[in-house]
Amino acid sequence: MASFFKQKRQVKQREKKKEDTGQSKSKTPDYIDSSISANLEKVKKKTGNSPDIIIRTLKIGQNPEIKTTILYVQGLIDNPSVTDFLIESIMKNPHLSEKILPQEALDVISEEVVSLGGVETVKDWEKLFLSLLSGDSIIFVDGINIALVASTKGGERRSIQEPSTHLTVRGSREGFTESNATNIAMLRRIINSPNLWIESMKIGTVTKTDVSIMYINGIVKEGIVEEVKKRLNRINIDSILESGYIEQLIEDQVMTPFPTLNHTERPDMVAGNLLEGRVAIFVNGTPFVLVAPAIFVQFFQSVEDYYNRFDIASATRFLRIIVFIISIVGPALYVAATTFHQEMIPTKLLVIVAAQRETVPLPAVVEALLMEMTFEILREASLRMPKAVGSTMSIVGALVIGQAAVQAGIVSPAMVIIVSITAIASFATPSYSIAISARIVRFGFIICAGTLGFYGMILAFIVLIVHLCSLRSLGVPYMTPLAPLNPEGLGDTFFRRPMWAFKERPKFLANENNLIREGDNQRPLPPESRGMKTSDEKKGEGNES
Amino acid sequence: MEKAKISGYQLFVLIFLFEMGSALLVPLAGEAKQAAWLVILIAMIGGFLLFFIYYGLFQYYPDQLLTEFVKQILGNFLGRIVAFLYILYFIYLAARVLRDFGDTLLTFAYPHVPLFFANAVFILVVVYTVRKGIEVLARTGELFFVLENLLLMTFMLLIVASGMIHLNNLKPIFEISGTELMKMGFTKSVFFPFGEVIVFLMIFPYLNEPQRLKKIGIGSLATSGIFLAIIMAVNIAVLGVDLTTRSQYPLLTLIQSIEVAGILERLDVYFLFLLMIGGFIKISVFTYVAVTGTANVFNVKQPSRLAYPVGIVILLISIIMASSYTEHIHEGLGAVPRYIHLPFQVIIPLLLLIIAFFKNRKKGRQASK
Repeated sequence: MASFFKQKRQVKQREKKKEDTGQSKSKTPDYIDSSISANLEKVKKKTGNSPDIIIRTLKIGQNPEIKTTILYVQGLIDNPSVTDFLIESIMKNPHLSEKILPQEALDVISEEVVSLGGVETVKDWEKLFLSLLSGDSIIFVDGINIALVASTKGGERRSIQEPSTHLTVRGSREGFTESNATNIAMLRRIINSPNLWIESMKIGTVTKTDVSIMYINGIVKEGIVEEVKKRLNRINIDSILESGYIEQLIEDQVMTPFPTLNHTERPDMVAGNLLEGRVAIFVNGTPFVLVAPAIFVQFFQSVEDYYNRFDIASATRFLRIIVFIISIVGPALYVAATTFHQEMIPTKLLVIVAAQRETVPLPAVVEALLMEMTFEILREASLRMPKAVGSTMSIVGALVIGQAAVQAGIVSPAMVIIVSITAIASFATPSYSIAISARIVRFGFIICAGTLGFYGMILAFIVLIVHLCSLRSLGVPYMTPLAPLNPEGLGDTFFRRPMWAFKERPKFLANENNLIREGDNQRPLPPESRGMKTSDEKKGEGNES
Repeated sequence: MEKAKISGYQLFVLIFLFEMGSALLVPLAGEAKQAAWLVILIAMIGGFLLFFIYYGLFQYYPDQLLTEFVKQILGNFLGRIVAFLYILYFIYLAARVLRDFGDTLLTFAYPHVPLFFANAVFILVVVYTVRKGIEVLARTGELFFVLENLLLMTFMLLIVASGMIHLNNLKPIFEISGTELMKMGFTKSVFFPFGEVIVFLMIFPYLNEPQRLKKIGIGSLATSGIFLAIIMAVNIAVLGVDLTTRSQYPLLTLIQSIEVAGILERLDVYFLFLLMIGGFIKISVFTYVAVTGTANVFNVKQPSRLAYPVGIVILLISIIMASSYTEHIHEGLGAVPRYIHLPFQVIIPLLLLIIAFFKNRKKGRQASK
């Protein structure tokens, strides 16, 4: 009982604290003053007199002249629109050079003068600063306690380029940029449907980052959008600098090496996922868009699988699964076979391996761990260092590891081959995030194989499977459609069924009332004269006779 | 009771893997010689009968665990004691399987590893799984079901391809008389593995479609029984009666004798794989049931906290239960079926069913009045 009260008191205290910190929210909003000088003073004080906030004062009207001020942040605005459509039109407008009352001036400016898309009025400081700092221009008129906000967002940004991850031979060359508006527009261009719904919010008490949720109304499963919003609203953090922040704050399970949310740089991939009933989360400032819920097999799918014919795509998928398994168990298999289960290796091969290992002073486990560590160091170094020294490092890496270590008899050539195959395999996984998990899991497998051979490896395998089965992504079990089994969903896992047989959206993701995605009889019907036919009926065109 | 639901398919898979678990490895019904496969099928029918007893109990109490409805049937005090005895039974069985498993492992692959260590790492994995709950165990089972069947089918294919099957080894079928076979089928072989399905009385309430339970249970028992019979028949057809009944692990001997195309040979590791998948599911089910049962009897709020203590108990029992493998097997074939399996699998459930029948009839009468 005592502890119960204690808890309650703590909650109260926490609430009190919240009120103290979040003053602006709980207190009545701070309104704009009618005097320009007081307003400007306030802006300067609040922004610490930062020089990138430009204050431009103009005079409009005659007898008396009215002081007007335009405020904007250098670099965040679109220069031509501020100079041409704001300052110039205010200065040269005939209405404003006549006699005019200050009360009317604001209306005239917003209705007749400013030739920009979005103009609105604000009264409180909080909204004003939010607009000002996101690139809008503010217009104060002396004697009026309302300010005009003209939308002049712009400035230097990276243009749309080819994405650097999830590369494909066939398919769109567009990749997301750092700007949310551009990214959302790219999706709009692909999915021309009014059902493509977007909801925005600001997350981060300091950064106030734009975060948008996108989904297709009617296809997304009921409850998923609410769940995403609930989890996003829970976030109370000072800054969101990348979508990874969001990912780590909304995922279902924290202690796992596997990614339970997917991210991508490709608009076509996001579009495909939205059409399966997923939700996309756009975060301003990063080209990586989050896609949820994620399932395990999804990380082995590339958009190109759907662009290629199904037999080719299925073969590639199968290859990727094998590659993933190799990248996890490759070195561990070698360690287990050479230390515990020599009888597994065919005699001739065993003789070769044994001859190589004769001079090696280290046990196979240590050798494997050493080589894997070296490789990880090389990879990390080549990722982080300046590009100019890249070639130097590859030479050093290849010479030191490939040549010198073997010649010195520290490692066996077979081990070098195994590590290289594993390395290549781990690069062949299409999703970088699952390739990283494989890297971590691999070390566990090597240690298990070194202590208990195949017994240890199979134990590690069981733990891995149990762990994968215990994961969920936004409530969807991670191993669906394999476990729990979903027979219809199996057509898009290790192999991909032909496009004409993709009758339905996956049941575990999409809204159950709207599953049909293509009509019946989509199988192509070529003219019937081809092939062996006994009847001479003429159906279809293109008969050769 | 855990807040969880499993599907009919998941239950099917769990029962199948559970039955196949350790039964795959030992020479089942070896004393029946050529007719071993027939005895397995007879035992399977005995298994159906036992299943109907359990099913009858389940129908009276469809959303209660075994440890819960025992209290309803026998009253609070006696019910608690019986429930506790059942928990001990499940713990003992888990320890037995673990010991079987550890000894097999040490005999054929790791002679230098201490039994305690081999068992300890295995029970660690089991405890990890049990802590995740029945849903995760069921999902894991689904994946392993596919894997196990793939492995078994590959073996069958390889055995057929290497031309080792001699059907003459299976003749004459009735070297032992039919009544004798029936006797064998309805005694020892029915308790292991078919009667052990009684643990699922602790899992049936999680089923999301209880009306299909009869079909699922019988179907699963039948599938696993037929699989076991086929494997036993193949064992005898390839190795002959003599070698099959003498070898400790006929399936291992069978797999070791596969030689195809000069490359597919010495497939011991795949035997290890089969052994571990089956053993893992079986021990996990027993441990899970023991943990939830203990939590239920002693009103523990978070059953997952009990996973480690129960795991340690199982580990210790598995080590001290016998001083050698021979003793372990001797107990398993002699005393255990007679003094442990028989009362826990047949006598007590039958008594419970009879009492439940009369109790519910009385209730039904009162209600109708």
